[in-house]
Amino acid sequence: MNIDPKKSSEAKHITLHSQEIVRIFESKSDCEIWTAFDKGDEMAFNYLYRIYAPILYQYGFQFSRDSSLIQDSIQNIFIYLRSKRGELSEVANIKGYLYRSIQREIIKNLKATTKRDQINSSALENSFKIEISPETSFIQSETNSLRKTKLQNGIDQLTCKQRKALLLFYQEELSYNEIAQIMDFKEVKTARKLIYRAITSLKEFIKPAK
Amino acid sequence: MFQDKDHIKFKDYQLEDFLTDEFFIQWVKNPNENTTHFWEKWIEANAQKKEIVMQAATFIRSIDYQEKHLMKNEIYLEVFEKIIRVDLKEVSQKKNSIIPFHWKSILSLRNIAAILILTFCSWIFYSLAFKRSIVKEDPIEWITKVNRAGIKTVLTLEDGSRIHLNSSSKITYPNRFSDTIRSVLLEGEAFFDVAEESRPFVVDLGKAQIEVLGTTFNAKKSSENKLEVALVSGKVKVNDRKGNQVMLMPSEMLTIQADGEFHKSKFDSLEIIGWKDKILVFRDDDFITVKSKIENWYDVEVKLSGKLSTTWAYTGNFHDESLRNVLEGIKQTSKIKYKINGKKVELYN
Repeated sequence: MNIDPKKSSEAKHITLHSQEIVRIFESKSDCEIWTAFDKGDEMAFNYLYRIYAPILYQYGFQFSRDSSLIQDSIQNIFIYLRSKRGELSEVANIKGYLYRSIQREIIKNLKATTKRDQINSSALENSFKIEISPETSFIQSETNSLRKTKLQNGIDQLTCKQRKALLLFYQEELSYNEIAQIMDFKEVKTARKLIYRAITSLKEFIKPAK
Repeated sequence: MFQDKDHIKFKDYQLEDFLTDEFFIQWVKNPNENTTHFWEKWIEANAQKKEIVMQAATFIRSIDYQEKHLMKNEIYLEVFEKIIRVDLKEVSQKKNSIIPFHWKSILSLRNIAAILILTFCSWIFYSLAFKRSIVKEDPIEWITKVNRAGIKTVLTLEDGSRIHLNSSSKITYPNRFSDTIRSVLLEGEAFFDVAEESRPFVVDLGKAQIEVLGTTFNAKKSSENKLEVALVSGKVKVNDRKGNQVMLMPSEMLTIQADGEFHKSKFDSLEIIGWKDKILVFRDDDFITVKSKIENWYDVEVKLSGKLSTTWAYTGNFHDESLRNVLEGIKQTSKIKYKINGKKVELYN
């Protein structure tokens, strides 16, 4: 058994390939990652899949409870994107772009199996339900607990569009611009107005009663 | 970075203004040094607004989906494989049968994303801690064990894992593992019986890594840079440098070609891992394969005088037999005669 000192410096730096990829890409801008993917960088593809497949899955469930339909949609999107490498247009916000894609894909797949009017009305009206997560400052006391209930009631009164916009804005941290694109608004200010109105209607529940 | 006008702009902000301001939300959700500095100073200068700011921040953080659906690990991997597979199918029709995959979860009901973030954070944390510990504690020594042709060894690592190292193979491992990972480097072929515990055991093959918790498998990296991982029991995950990952179930073998292409197949366990039990196995092997197996097994040089038909192939098993007995066996079924002269073997017909 021989100890090879030359080997030791090299061997100490074993890092997991999977972590290495996250490390390489997480500091890059969406634009750079997308360009790398477009140029055929397999690592960039793997990074995209790692980061976005799970959140696309979660997002997809807002449209349908059919897990296999959502899996197929995610699969189709990535297969499509991989096949279009080399000719993809620039993407400044990957999450926004992929949300638009999966939404389109799921609705297309739903239309193939269901009647159109059913999708538009009942199925989607109940989607994008919001839950006020237990933030400490809301539940510290009984009055706060009561406030939380009131706020939750207020949120439940919002329209599906308003809920969706709030989730995209606060939970998903997307910009007005991205939200307008995802929600098919011609102008960004429509997204601004939608969120502003939702907030105005909730204002009294957010402020503590004095 | 931030102008005075920004300070003034926010002065008259009401709750709804904060809640509709992208810059404010960015700070609440993803604070960085710049935004934190700005808002801390601003709140200090505008103490009367502090409560409103807090209310707005609390509201922003509390908005969440009512329904959450985590992508299970097996679904995550299954979809990944399907995506990858589409391209491969177009490129080439493998003659090896590609068997359907049956995924089972190692980490069911957990969010992949959460795991990634957690592992990444802990990796950062530990790599920092580890770097520091290198300075303070005894440095980890890396031990290299090399087997030349004709030699097979069994070694036991610090964690109780046992490794059968085949002939013409090399393994490098630390005298003690770190707190987070058990890693070894392999060239050639080895059979691993990994002791089960919480630290992952990683076999680094250069262009791919095998990651397991506790399991038995055979790993082989040929000189042509082809990799083969055959799983006997447990579960293993193989990651290549590009981030492709494949999970193996028992009795599945993954082959990664030098160009990175990979496929899964079933394997004949005697053929693949018979060597560790001293069974020399020939399976419809052509002369080149038979020659290299004998050379490697007995540390001899094999030469052929005369000609063999191109369809010549040999099948047979020898359990812990001498070189002479193996050659005798081949002679009887294949009509090839032999002469042994020290380390040289001459075959002729």
